[in-house]
Amino acid sequence: MAYLQAGRGRITLPGGPSGTPAKSHEACRPRRPRSHLAWQAIAICALPLVAQGCDKLLTTKPALGERFDQPIAGLDNGELGQFQRGQAQFRRGFTIVEGLGPIFNNRSCVSCHSGDGRGRPENILIRFSRGTDLALDLGGPQIQSQAIPGAVPEQLPTGVDVSHRLPPPVFGAGLIEALPESTILAHADPTDADGDGISGRANWVTPAAYVPATEPGGGAGLRVGRFGRKAQVAPLLQQTVEAYHQDIGITSSYRPSDNLSPLAGMNPDRARDPEVGNGEVSSVVDYLRMLAPPAPGEGTERRRRGEAAFATIRCGSCHVPVMRTGAHEIAALSYRDAALYSDLLIHDMGDGLADNRPDGDADGREWRTAPLWGLRIAREFLSGTLFLLHDGRAHTIEEAILAHGGEAAAIRDAFLALSAEDRAALVDFVESR
Amino acid sequence: MRRRQPLATPGWLALAVALVPLWVAAGATSASASAPAPAVRPLNAPARSAAPASAVEPAARLSFRLLDPPDDVPHHGVWDRIAFGGQAEARFAHDRVAGVGNPDWASVQRVSGFAVARVHDRLWLLGEVAYDRATDDLVVERALVDLRLRETVALHGGVLPLPLGRANLERDAPRGEFTDRSLVATALIGVPSSQLGVGVRGLLRRASFVSYELDAVTGYDDGLIDDSPDGTRVPRGRNGWADNNGIPALAGRIALHPGPGAELGLGALAGPYNRTDLDGVTVDRSRALILAVADGATAVAGVRLAGEAALVTVDVPPGLQPLFAEQQWGASLEAARTLRQPLIGAWARSSLGAALRADAVDFDRAIPGDSKSRLSASANVRPGPSAVLRFGWYYELRRDRFDNPVPAAGLVLSAASYF
Repeated sequence: MAYLQAGRGRITLPGGPSGTPAKSHEACRPRRPRSHLAWQAIAICALPLVAQGCDKLLTTKPALGERFDQPIAGLDNGELGQFQRGQAQFRRGFTIVEGLGPIFNNRSCVSCHSGDGRGRPENILIRFSRGTDLALDLGGPQIQSQAIPGAVPEQLPTGVDVSHRLPPPVFGAGLIEALPESTILAHADPTDADGDGISGRANWVTPAAYVPATEPGGGAGLRVGRFGRKAQVAPLLQQTVEAYHQDIGITSSYRPSDNLSPLAGMNPDRARDPEVGNGEVSSVVDYLRMLAPPAPGEGTERRRRGEAAFATIRCGSCHVPVMRTGAHEIAALSYRDAALYSDLLIHDMGDGLADNRPDGDADGREWRTAPLWGLRIAREFLSGTLFLLHDGRAHTIEEAILAHGGEAAAIRDAFLALSAEDRAALVDFVESR
Repeated sequence: MRRRQPLATPGWLALAVALVPLWVAAGATSASASAPAPAVRPLNAPARSAAPASAVEPAARLSFRLLDPPDDVPHHGVWDRIAFGGQAEARFAHDRVAGVGNPDWASVQRVSGFAVARVHDRLWLLGEVAYDRATDDLVVERALVDLRLRETVALHGGVLPLPLGRANLERDAPRGEFTDRSLVATALIGVPSSQLGVGVRGLLRRASFVSYELDAVTGYDDGLIDDSPDGTRVPRGRNGWADNNGIPALAGRIALHPGPGAELGLGALAGPYNRTDLDGVTVDRSRALILAVADGATAVAGVRLAGEAALVTVDVPPGLQPLFAEQQWGASLEAARTLRQPLIGAWARSSLGAALRADAVDFDRAIPGDSKSRLSASANVRPGPSAVLRFGWYYELRRDRFDNPVPAAGLVLSAASYF
């Protein structure tokens, strides 16, 4: 391969010095214009095809409303910039060097929330407590199943109440946050005063002390919980900080100390605390706020029939189709209809779904009504398989409906009483949200 | 743990294998297919009488790193007993991931400078400093003393290129048929990878067609776990300067050279990668990394075929096992053909070539996802053997740990040359 001889620019070739034609008489031969013309013609014809095909050859952007990680419409440039910074943080995988652990569940936000949607059973979180006591002395309220070298993964202690929780979708969090408490409470009927068998109530929770009063859901006193499987968290900031701390083992100024298990002797990790700054936490909170829910599917005749059945058997008593947001710091979230198909209230779902573990004001049989938005494309981010309900036990809408009990037992029975076509139409409608 | 489903990635390889014969058949009718066999000119030729290529032993002519690595290095000039030169490659690309373009359209792919000093007929000093996009840093890739005891035995020591596959040994930018190295090389092995060490290499016996190399090196470090945000990634443990645990790793390669342009190699590295104590506190036991690479090259009907396959086994601490892979593998297969030579009448060695490559990497054998597969095509114009202008396209399918596919693709233009 020593093509270059000593000295700049001189090329030594076996056939003779550079620039000498191997067969000089060939240079005098007449060109073959026909051949060149043919190539040129082919090239000219091919160019538009190449240009046309380029987009597909180079991948195409998914249409708006077809993903979980798209920004809500109406953001200004500054907000879009913040969205992008938050997205980078949300996708950031933490390393042990950067402070991952010492005990943790996963490396990044997105490694639990697939494509910003729901998680899979491999990522399930195990919460435990002794009644309402969070069992901090036993390493509660969550099992961290991973550990860096020098630390030991947690084991579930005996004699505690256990709950398996699939990571929920995170899109639309801003719209949920922007719903006034009064709007949510308007659907509450804790004593079932109207006698319809549905007695949804708010999970009144105390925000973490580090959440400033200026933050939505923050401040002194009880607030309506709206995030989490049991609506056990009111401020989005708290949900984010706790996820950093409990799920990834990342400290922030809000939770400045490493999460250590008291049952297994261990040292903190070697990264300096706090391991993320307030700006990084804020950018993730803002990102979650600005994530748009996917667009619902087209309204086909069958889906309209399903929607009618949905209304007839009163699924909408809990899965309230639309609520309207109030004023929000982000203008694009203000005074908008949020078609989340949930009342964000907690309901008795019966023994079959009960985890028998209280959370905030919610008891062991109560769960927040799961929003139905985004189900249309949920499979695409779970490699084709749906995982529904709090622990992912249901793989189809029908299985999820049939698992309903408690307050929803009558509606479940009404679903079973529908004709096969209506049931299929209802399922199709729900899955098109 | 989910049961493993058949991985989609071998599909790419099957497609490539199926396409190659068709391409060969098509090319045979339209172009002369002569592989530009690199002419080997000993670097010390100016100091000695210029030895004709035929004077070099056949086996030595076929291998890149046999007894005389300096023989295989093109150089810019010679000053006394020191030869020096370099290479550079620029990459211009339109890359997209799921339709979203990457604004980083221009980059330096690689730039390096080297010097080789012939202290004595049997003693050489080699140094090479390179910025490579893969390391994203200015790195000493070669700083070694090479002592040739006999034709069959040479000792070397210093910063050595690891003998892990052809891609790491033949890392010069103008040599490649593609702008981007294969996934196996970049994502699995971590090319370019050089480490501090000492070793022996040579031919099994004089005029043999079997070469060998065995080195004791510092080994990869625990960055492949501790500093890796995406799971086990060997390149993150690339550490050429120091041993983090006091126990050297063994690296070696044995290669057959059955004929011109043909080579079949088997390389491996094994050794502990982690630290067992931090500030005197024992945090773990010693854990091993084993990296095995098989590579081959040949020419069939004017088509130059090259392939590389690698298997990585990492002893992962139990607390990290579900998230960090214990086994990874990858493979690449490329075919290249010279379509026209000379391309420009006055430049006898100018050529137009085309190349196709399929490669795949599975970062975690225990789960269906966490993998990448890629198909690349490239048209290469070489004004001479020491420079190349490439125009290529690639399509890559990335799968996250949920096994969700994310497509990526790009159009790439690159220029690379020795200087």
